[in-house]
Amino acid sequence: MSETKAKIKVDNLVKNYGDNAVLKGINLEVKNNEVVVIIGPSGSGKSTLLRTLNKLEEPTGGSIVVDGYDIAKPDTDINKVRENIGMVFQHFNLFNNLTVGENITLAPLELKKEAPKQATEHAHSLLQMVGLESKFDARVQSLSGGQQQRVAIARALAMKPDVMLFDEPTSALDPEMVGDVLAVMKDLAKQGMTMVVVTHEMGFAKEVADRVIFVDDGQILEEGTPDELFGHPKHPRLQDFLNKILNV
Amino acid sequence: MKRRLFAVFSFVAVLFALGLGLGYSSASAKTQQTYTIGTDVTFPPFEFANDQNKYVGIDMDLMRAIAKDQGFKVNIKPLGFNAAVQATQSGQIDGVIAGMSITKERAATFDFSNPYFTSGVVMAVAKNSKITDLNALKGKRVAVKTGTSGADYANSIKNKYGFKVVTFDDSNNMYEDVTTGNSVACFEDSPVMRYAIQQGSKLKIVTKPAESGSYGFAVKKGQNKALLTAFNRGLANLKKNGQYDKITERYLGKDSTAKPADDRSFLGLLKQNKGALWDGFVETLWLTVVSIFFATLFGVIVGLMGVVPSKFINGASTTLIYIFRGLPLLVLALFIYTGIPSLTGQKIPAFVAGVITLMFNEGAYIAAFVKGGINAVDHGQMEAARSLGLPFGKSMRKVILPQGIKIMVPSFINQFIITLKDTSILSIIGLLELTQTGKIIIARNLEGFKVWTIVAVIYLVVITLLTWLSNWVQRRTKI
Repeated sequence: MSETKAKIKVDNLVKNYGDNAVLKGINLEVKNNEVVVIIGPSGSGKSTLLRTLNKLEEPTGGSIVVDGYDIAKPDTDINKVRENIGMVFQHFNLFNNLTVGENITLAPLELKKEAPKQATEHAHSLLQMVGLESKFDARVQSLSGGQQQRVAIARALAMKPDVMLFDEPTSALDPEMVGDVLAVMKDLAKQGMTMVVVTHEMGFAKEVADRVIFVDDGQILEEGTPDELFGHPKHPRLQDFLNKILNV
Repeated sequence: MKRRLFAVFSFVAVLFALGLGLGYSSASAKTQQTYTIGTDVTFPPFEFANDQNKYVGIDMDLMRAIAKDQGFKVNIKPLGFNAAVQATQSGQIDGVIAGMSITKERAATFDFSNPYFTSGVVMAVAKNSKITDLNALKGKRVAVKTGTSGADYANSIKNKYGFKVVTFDDSNNMYEDVTTGNSVACFEDSPVMRYAIQQGSKLKIVTKPAESGSYGFAVKKGQNKALLTAFNRGLANLKKNGQYDKITERYLGKDSTAKPADDRSFLGLLKQNKGALWDGFVETLWLTVVSIFFATLFGVIVGLMGVVPSKFINGASTTLIYIFRGLPLLVLALFIYTGIPSLTGQKIPAFVAGVITLMFNEGAYIAAFVKGGINAVDHGQMEAARSLGLPFGKSMRKVILPQGIKIMVPSFINQFIITLKDTSILSIIGLLELTQTGKIIIARNLEGFKVWTIVAVIYLVVITLLTWLSNWVQRRTKI
């Protein structure tokens, strides 16, 4: 796949909850190996936008093409497409009934029919990557929030996805835990993972993002490189937003 | 006058009787004719199971004595009154003897023997009561049992004498109401009342039998002439040689000298009825286990229907829960047992009807907490599983259910205990479980308080054991 080919292509995406329009016609392209950070005030629709990309939210209108599959179409096998899209949640959502190791190996064993030995080895190497090698047999509840989030990233990576979606991955963490998680994400970005990240971590956005998208009121109001958006914001609402979060 | 069908008991009894009958007929077919005679399940003093679970009573003793006198064999089937009458009509059995009044309507489809007993409604009052006639009832309360000719009679004269009628479901409660003084009198067929007094009810009969009628043995019209003739001949012989009086005296005599005095202490009652109580206990347990199995199956399926991603199936689940949780268990039991057969023409055995009833009712409660338990699992768990590409069913099985079940365990245990207790309601359709066994024992010996105490203690013991077992299981599942 060429560098410039779109991994994700969203056309005129609309999402309504009853009469409430949350997304009002979004157009977005994410290229292979690109890191896109979505910022915006709360309630702007940025999380909803991210969640429609693997159909956790059913789109009301428009098209979403991921890896060449239009997932807005009802006859697309969404489970198959999701195997290639990793998702990391604000609240980690590790499976509470399983150990750390089982959390990571569940999907590969069930869906890729990997041999248990191979899946376990892969899980160990992923845990090593996120710095939690010793926690393979640990119970989820015994981990700190930061540790849980790193396991959640390892779990998503176990399916060897070519896109990773991050939905405010550090918002529920104690401040001293944030660094570890961001470090893992930076590593991933360096390895060339295609990533879409909803976050309030402007430092991360500046350092890692290829492109930053500002969403407000269900629309993309501005997009560009981190320098453009943070250095020279044009839209008054973006200026207002940046003022608020950077001058706390 | 006859009301209740004890169908399951009858069913078992029929099987048993068939088995016996087959065995017999092959052994002694050459000499004696065997007739199959239907009767009611419980109608003391005419027919009832004694403490050895053998059918005795005026009808039973008379029938056996006549058979002996006339040299034929009888195979008695306690089918329940209505079933016995219908089986005779359809020719499945040879005759029916069940305290059956000889009426013009019945004579159109049955041939009756000569009357073997004359009955009539009498009034009884408490032993120390000063009431001696109907005129003294003005403004007072009178007890009757539903569906009896005593109730019909009381209702037909209540306006004339100005008394109020209260209705009870079984004889024991009716007598109790009089002995405790809540009601001043009760009306009942004279042999039934005399039997009650013989059994120790603190009542006395103060009126002559009214609305008297005669009981007869019946065969299908135009059939079994030889049997009918033999019955009449035998009856005449018994009356002549004094055996008839001996039999009636055995059940209606003022002093129960014919019987050894029963031990009416708790221990005595327990000993006399241990066979019946054990059978009732086993039936209750069996009913509970089978019902819990099907209720759990039904409940889990309907509960899961409530969480799958389909509005239509969710709606079906909600509707099922709404209907079966909304219906009183008693109404549901009667509807399934008597309503469905009259719609489909297909009879349902009481045990099956009972299990279906509990399956729906308890199952609806189970469905509600299965649904609740699954919904109580953090929504993010499902999202995380689905976003890995796991299909809905797999996500449910591997992630949601293991967590939901933990939440549901206490509710399941609670529901199992409720199911055990609710089996008692199925006594209404004649299932011979513990409560019905209690009712039947009381119909015979009228020791309501003591027998219900025994039954209550048995329930408590079982429930205590079940609770211990559940707590143990619960401890084991809490990892």
